[in-house]
Amino acid sequence: MKEKIKSIFSEYYLEIIFLTIALILVLINKNKAYVGFKYALNTYKNLFFVIMGVAFLSGLISELVNENMIRKYIGKESGFKGVIIGAIFGTVMVGPAYVYYPFLKELMNKGAKINVIATTIGAWAIKLQWLPFAITILGAKFIITLNIFIFIFAIFSGYLIEYFTNNLK
Amino acid sequence: MQNLITGFILIGITIFFYAFFLFKNDNKKLKRSFKKGIKQFIKNSIRLFAVFVIIGLLQSFLSKESVANFLLKFQGFKGIIFGELTGAVMMGPVASGYPIGKYLLENGASISLISAFLLSWVLIGIVSISIEFKEFGVKFAISRNILTLVFIILISILMGILI
Repeated sequence: MKEKIKSIFSEYYLEIIFLTIALILVLINKNKAYVGFKYALNTYKNLFFVIMGVAFLSGLISELVNENMIRKYIGKESGFKGVIIGAIFGTVMVGPAYVYYPFLKELMNKGAKINVIATTIGAWAIKLQWLPFAITILGAKFIITLNIFIFIFAIFSGYLIEYFTNNLK
Repeated sequence: MQNLITGFILIGITIFFYAFFLFKNDNKKLKRSFKKGIKQFIKNSIRLFAVFVIIGLLQSFLSKESVANFLLKFQGFKGIIFGELTGAVMMGPVASGYPIGKYLLENGASISLISAFLLSWVLIGIVSISIEFKEFGVKFAISRNILTLVFIILISILMGILI
């Protein structure tokens, strides 16, 4: 029993910290906290199918997907092509990137290169579906330049992140 | 809506592969991946819900006006740094960040500050870093976030020159 509590704590300590912060905020201002919780429920409902899809797809990848295939397209053998695949995938995807992290992690376990995954996460910052809205608010020149920078940064940073992840102690 | 469509696509792909397993009569693999899926679903749900709660609380405690008015106090390089730090705290859909950007622009904030704020909003999340740590490990998370912090400053300065 003690062991079990310990393992739950080590797995979920961040969530426990979050909930403690949340509880303190509830004590500070009940109404605002209520709005916050409602937001959380709505977001979860909104992303329910994505969260479910990501979970089961990750389960599948770990069992089904052939490592050679991963290596060929987004792994060691893919080179710059893999980076471009990652950048385009990240650009077109919608929703918060962190919801997809378990899926990306599973790809990494199967041999996807670190730089491809890092590039995907970087390019996720390009919110393709929001571009028209953003342009009407802040102007085409500003928004397009900003997103071109994000795209270049995503590709460039992938290599650096891979280097640091492999070489830091 | 887009999330709903993406979710259905993901589940569709999953069902397709499950059917494939069934067809191949590979029940062992089917069972294993289904079990993993359920486990992941529960784990991710708890983790993400905690993150959503924090984002929701942050959003309701930090009103758009107060964030914008706070940022308007800073100029020059200090503006970039504070824009970046504030953007890292802000989470949720960036669609609510653009109006803040506009308000800042109309009230005389620099292009660099707004760039730093919006870039950091989409590239760094103080709450989602926890998930990054758990999934990809400390080295990946730290190097990605520090590199991103540095590059946001560079890009923001460039934006200020270009626009």
